[in-house]
Amino acid sequence: MIATALGVLLVLLAAGLPVAAALGVLAVVLDASFSAVPLTVAAGEIAWNTGKDFLLVAIPLFVLMGEILLRAGVAERMYGALSLWLAWLPGGLMHANIGACALFAATSGSSVATAATVGTVALPQARTFGYDERLFAGSLAAGGTLGILIPPSINIILYAVLTDSSIPRLYLAALLPGVLLALGFMVVVAVASGLGSRPTGTAEVPTRRERLAALVHLLPPLFIFFLVVGSIYLGWATPTEAASLGVIGALLLAAAAGRLSGSMLGRALKSTVKTSTMILVIVIAAAILNFVLSAIGLTRQLTDTITGLGLSPWAMFVAMVFFYLVLGCFMETLSMMITTVPVVVPVMTALGFDPVWLGVVIIVLVEAALITPPVGLNLFVVQSLRPDGRIEEVIRGVLPFLSAMLVLIGLLALVPDLALWLPRQVMG
Amino acid sequence: MERDGRSDRRHHRQALSRAPLPRPATGSGGVAAIEAFLDRWLDVGRRLARPLARAGGLLVLAAAFLVAVEVALRGLFAVSLGGADELSGYALAIATSWGLPFVLLERGHVRVDSFYTRLPTRLVAALDVLALAVLTAFLALLGQRAGLVLADTLAFGSRATTPLSTPLWIPQGLWFAGFVLHLLVALPLASRALLALLRGDSATVLRLAGSRTLAEEAAAERRAGP
Repeated sequence: MIATALGVLLVLLAAGLPVAAALGVLAVVLDASFSAVPLTVAAGEIAWNTGKDFLLVAIPLFVLMGEILLRAGVAERMYGALSLWLAWLPGGLMHANIGACALFAATSGSSVATAATVGTVALPQARTFGYDERLFAGSLAAGGTLGILIPPSINIILYAVLTDSSIPRLYLAALLPGVLLALGFMVVVAVASGLGSRPTGTAEVPTRRERLAALVHLLPPLFIFFLVVGSIYLGWATPTEAASLGVIGALLLAAAAGRLSGSMLGRALKSTVKTSTMILVIVIAAAILNFVLSAIGLTRQLTDTITGLGLSPWAMFVAMVFFYLVLGCFMETLSMMITTVPVVVPVMTALGFDPVWLGVVIIVLVEAALITPPVGLNLFVVQSLRPDGRIEEVIRGVLPFLSAMLVLIGLLALVPDLALWLPRQVMG
Repeated sequence: MERDGRSDRRHHRQALSRAPLPRPATGSGGVAAIEAFLDRWLDVGRRLARPLARAGGLLVLAAAFLVAVEVALRGLFAVSLGGADELSGYALAIATSWGLPFVLLERGHVRVDSFYTRLPTRLVAALDVLALAVLTAFLALLGQRAGLVLADTLAFGSRATTPLSTPLWIPQGLWFAGFVLHLLVALPLASRALLALLRGDSATVLRLAGSRTLAEEAAAERRAGP
């Protein structure tokens, strides 16, 4: 039964069927082959109840918030300010790239949006100041992935919905690893540029007065972060409610910057519906499939089979990391999460792993998937922002940053409290 | 910047609705007439899918305001409107189904395209048509089940078990409508792509049903940028 299911799914996906349709077909096939009573009769109820789930309302709201911020011009001024503060480090402006990505990630739930927003502002600087363009592009593609680790994060919401865990707890757990990964990226930048002979840095050294004056441009992203993530941590708002506050805050910022207009809002709304429809169709198809999987007992059979293998939990953990690294080369990340998490996480928690900790590890693996070729969307986003050059250069430049992600996963395995300490302190 | 965005959008819209129409059919007169009819139908569909998606977006925006007001009132005055969560849930369900035609026509559905796109073009085109057909069938099935949910609601006059006790036929009806509209676009699109495939016109198939390349996707992301 497991082999049938996996085989059918792999063939359907490799043949290029839309992920949602492939999941739906698998549900129908499994239902017809293994169930005594027709299960997909319930599909309508499942679709309705999933489709109107208040938790999932956070997804379009966060997408909308990002679409508005993207067009509000927040990123240009923020990047300028950060470059005044960070460009003296070995690796120069690339530290501003990482810093701006980390800060923008604190207002954005999407890695692609983070890479696109910061990349648009930062990339022109690479040639002006004669940076190694490969590493420069790599720092943006990798830095952008912080978008889904540093809260808010759309992927974490999905993980929480799929595994029935707490979004605030996951957001707290991801915060410290997010900061660590940003620092790790900076170390990579410093080491890689220390070894190279290319010039780095900017034209002039800023005065202290300039630096202090620039700090005001960090306020808009911090405002959104405290509005959204702060209201969740303080218990004022649920994640969905916080997302709605974020939309209002983003609208205010766009209006203050003089960027708010009917056509701008219209484009943001259209884009939002496109993205969230695409996500939710897959979520609904997966919900139907998961209903069939548990009804025919496949989920439990899989858990039993794998735990019956007698592998040590850590061997399973290594296998899981490997599985996601390979899968991430070929699959779009949201659909990868939606299809695998409902199956992988129950197995791993049965082996004794903490689902919140596991969530952080999986999000880091999803970040790796965003920058591993051939299907690493962030690579293509950054490449599309470059005036010329080949994608292979971005791929070369991003590789050193992948090592920081693997180190972080190692650290999380050695010291689970990197993720679990903060939620324990705050939420008990 | 605004101007850039607008011209981008205009360009984009032109690319969609005034894109070089599929090559004139080389088949018999009857087939050509059918293809022309389908093309006209799809043109109308393209023109309607966009405002429909935008209407869904307005529902999401309205939900954002409603929920934000609810949080503010609760935080500041400890009063609750009640029902913001329920109504925003309906907004999500409706916005999703109203976005279906747009996502279909924009070829926005997520597909794993690292493998099948390496096959010979004719085969790629055939798999594109198959993918479109299966997606159409799946969403038609889902729509039919959505219709059954609505029919039950109508038969029993069901209301939500919430303080608002919303008559459920209203949100479920609007939700169901999205699936119907999707089918009205997906069927002619799939038929048109199939006819092109049978005629050996792979270029048209790819344009109608092909997987968006990552480069296209990234370009769309960049267009959205500031």
